[in-house]
Amino acid sequence: MTFIRYILRRLLYVAPQLFGIILISFMMVKLIPGDPVVMMLGPVASQESIEALRESMGFNKTLLQQFAIYFGNVLHGDFGTSWQTTRPVVEDLVVRFPATLELVTLGLLLAMLIGVPFGVLAARHKSGPIRRFTDYYGLVAGAIPDFWLALVFVYVFYTIFHIVPTPLGRVDMSLLTPPVVTGSYIIDSILIGDFEVLGSTLGHLVLPVLTLGLINAGPILKVTQSTMERVLTSDFIQYAELSGLSPRTVLRQAVRNSLPSIVTIISVLYGFLIGGAVLVEIVFSWGGAGQYAVQGVLNNDINPVLGFVVFSAVLCLFIYLVVDLICFTIDPRMRA
Amino acid sequence: MTARTIAGEFGSDGMIRVEASGKEGHLASESTRDGRNSKSVALSAFAGEVSTEQAKTPLISIKDLTVGFPSYGKTTKRAVNGVSLDIPRGEVVGLVGESGSGKSTLARAMMGMVPPPGIVEGGIVSLDGLDLSTLNEKQMRAIRGRDLSMMVPNPRSELNPLLTVGRQISNVAHEHLGISRKQAEAKAMEMLRSVRISDAERRFNAYPHELSGGMAQRVIIAIALICSPRFIISDDATSGLDVTVQAQVLELMSTLVRDRGASMLFITRDIGIAAHFCNRVAVMYAGEIVEIADTQSFFERPAHPYSVMLLSAFLHNPALRAKWTKKADDLSGAAPLSGGCPFRFRCVRARERCAVEHPKLSRFRPRHDVRCHFPVGTPS
Repeated sequence: MTFIRYILRRLLYVAPQLFGIILISFMMVKLIPGDPVVMMLGPVASQESIEALRESMGFNKTLLQQFAIYFGNVLHGDFGTSWQTTRPVVEDLVVRFPATLELVTLGLLLAMLIGVPFGVLAARHKSGPIRRFTDYYGLVAGAIPDFWLALVFVYVFYTIFHIVPTPLGRVDMSLLTPPVVTGSYIIDSILIGDFEVLGSTLGHLVLPVLTLGLINAGPILKVTQSTMERVLTSDFIQYAELSGLSPRTVLRQAVRNSLPSIVTIISVLYGFLIGGAVLVEIVFSWGGAGQYAVQGVLNNDINPVLGFVVFSAVLCLFIYLVVDLICFTIDPRMRA
Repeated sequence: MTARTIAGEFGSDGMIRVEASGKEGHLASESTRDGRNSKSVALSAFAGEVSTEQAKTPLISIKDLTVGFPSYGKTTKRAVNGVSLDIPRGEVVGLVGESGSGKSTLARAMMGMVPPPGIVEGGIVSLDGLDLSTLNEKQMRAIRGRDLSMMVPNPRSELNPLLTVGRQISNVAHEHLGISRKQAEAKAMEMLRSVRISDAERRFNAYPHELSGGMAQRVIIAIALICSPRFIISDDATSGLDVTVQAQVLELMSTLVRDRGASMLFITRDIGIAAHFCNRVAVMYAGEIVEIADTQSFFERPAHPYSVMLLSAFLHNPALRAKWTKKADDLSGAAPLSGGCPFRFRCVRARERCAVEHPKLSRFRPRHDVRCHFPVGTPS
């Protein structure tokens, strides 16, 4: 069947794509000035110990040799060790990646729930209060930095009103984190039936999800609006109206025809937010993957950075595959 | 005497006209003549059923319809300027004119859907005596696609690329006829067969991009005809097709329209098609009907210089075209909306009077009206 052939053909490209991504990011990380060995040993280390560590970490080999060793390790599932956490990168990411995913997924879900309906409404109203509201919303959401909004939320809802838990981490510190199954605290706590943890997790999610949702609803709204406007003025929607179809039917058709663009912008945001939500993560001490990677970059801790890049790349490739499959189902022309 | 005058007007030799109309006439004599016979049969059969009072009201009556497009800082452009047109039951009226003459805007205005920012500034469109401007949007929607339907050009872009053609046809029936989706689908299938789409069962589940232009046009026809509308507007619906397919589609259209006793406004840029297909021909220029006549009378004695220009362009005769075509110095800047004849800048017969007095549509011959101070064939 064409569907399965399509997936297989897409998967065929995954391997070379991943190789390219690892190669490029490896070289770029190596270009960051600074010596990790100096960072690791501190300012008072002797020249001999620096040389010795450098030798043992393979930093004296050529770049290509280093890459070959790194790539070989990655193939065995070994992403090296972070000298900051002194733990294997994979172990760190297994905890931190789901933290980011949980946050970003819920944030985008909220953004979708706000952006898509308002985008559709905006496209249908050329003027009036609704259109003014959506115009301003798109502008403001695009202009306000997410970390600023996060800080305002913390100030208002935590400092003043005390209606949200302390914005530190994903769950109340007095509670035991659920055993890692999926890494999502919501799912894991439901799996073991620990509703105290579930409640606390949800409470901690409210503000960061609200922040990401409200900010990222902006671009979704704008793309939905412009796509819908284009579709609504298209010949076939006009003809549907000329045929006397009810506004509901016409709108349903128009939304359906806009879906590919909407799904695409959501997928782009998704890939972007894996690393792009880092400032919000920092505000809420989320301990997510973005935070982990940024710490790595700042401290010349190469392995976490590369590990993060590879994990995000795999995730993005997966998301884009899903998006293509969705478009594939919506648009028969893609099946040709 | 008259024939002589026209021939003289038309070209240096009268042969051109005879030859051209003869060429047209061959095709026409086969299809149009017996077409017209059965049309009149259908018409009389139809007339027998309706009450005398109903028979008197034309099916579609347009009175002084004016559609304006406001343009900022300038005067409103009138795409349709005081058009009046009555179309009785069973009649096919051809509407010809160049791009931008207001044909499509007229069609949309009749459907109650003037493309924005255009607005209907005045006038009445009535269907069977019912003034459509008195209807609210919901009532109008019930008429659109059901009593009054439209065929559109570019079927590829007028069909929703994401829905199967069966779905798009049955949607209309489901919406208007109050039948279940299943019944609507059965009806759509029947309709696909009657527009002679081969392998209808398979095409029913096909998507528009899988169809050829001719097939897609048939789907449009199926959509327009599925509710057996009383009046159909074909807006240049066949111009995108190549000649043989166009002939088939036209033939099909005329048969279907005739069989259903419907009337039709047939908008085209191809004056030759109008000759084959229509009982009457109306020529539009700058938002006005400049000539309207029975088809035979129109082609025998075209009276408006613009009509003659259109015909001469269609005949592909350089000498004739040169005689009737005048290059205006600046066409876009010319043609003010008030005062004088809007065609005068391109008219080879224009006189002083044309610049000051806007001509009225007046009787030229029986069933033949023209909007010109100096119609072709009269001394100027």
